[in-house]
Amino acid sequence: MITQEELATTNISMRYDLSPIRNIIGDLSGLLGNFSDELIGAFYPKTVSKKANIVITELVNNAVVNSPDSDSKITLEIMVKKDLLRISVTNAANRSQYKRVRDHIRMINTASDLRKLLADTIRERRKDRLGGGLGLIRLAAENKFTLSARYRAPYLIVDSQIGLGGLS
Amino acid sequence: MKVLAFGEIMDGGNSVFSSVAKVDADLLIVSFGGSIRIDNPYKHLEQYLLELDQLIPQEKIGRIEFDFKELDFCNSNGFYIIMDITEMIIDATKGPITVKRLKDDDWQQETLPILLNVDEPEIEARTTFEEFTAI
Repeated sequence: MITQEELATTNISMRYDLSPIRNIIGDLSGLLGNFSDELIGAFYPKTVSKKANIVITELVNNAVVNSPDSDSKITLEIMVKKDLLRISVTNAANRSQYKRVRDHIRMINTASDLRKLLADTIRERRKDRLGGGLGLIRLAAENKFTLSARYRAPYLIVDSQIGLGGLS
Repeated sequence: MKVLAFGEIMDGGNSVFSSVAKVDADLLIVSFGGSIRIDNPYKHLEQYLLELDQLIPQEKIGRIEFDFKELDFCNSNGFYIIMDITEMIIDATKGPITVKRLKDDDWQQETLPILLNVDEPEIEARTTFEEFTAI
């Protein structure tokens, strides 16, 4: 009989391309997040699949909300293997949007105390009920993902990854 | 046990999130279940907040229990509604607070204490976390 440890060495990769963005009227991030949670959770511990769910939800939601071109596409790529979970989301963006995301990620990656950054940002934005900007901090502070951003005009690619050592 | 108030978020005709406030003698139990994924949870939970604000001061509450075990997911927009509910109750009462949460859930371990403001010494002194394993 196969053990849980053997199951958690399964290689899984998924890719979704959706266009045009203007047709996305439902909770796409929820659909993709929940489905991936179920699928990854069939092989890996819930701690891993739940992390994937949160990252997919936050990144896909950001992409849908911030894409300036309603005719463009978004792409979600998910890869899980024995020791790594990697999730990338690609969406249309202009150069200034890319720079804003890049600088935000740079600020997160250089923060000396991520928990404090998360706490301060939540409290700062609470008075206006602003959710924007919290998602990426959350992925790093709460879910321990390493984030990076690239620009392949006209597309912004946000990468997130986490080593699974100790989680599987 | 008496149900004080009930709030829920409906999405596509289904209940996706619910919270119930119950009183058992001097114990106030507030449980949270389901998922908060929508952009504006206040649209669904404003009445619940109002009811809690009106009803809790009328009860003689000595202890509080916040139960997050059934809360599967909370997006960034859900943080503030959790803060509003818990803060209102914490401010309106004086007794010890027990927080039931899942030990393998990142947001319940890392972010929930921020939302509950346990960095505040007075709240920290009142609060005890009980850890559970998801079934």
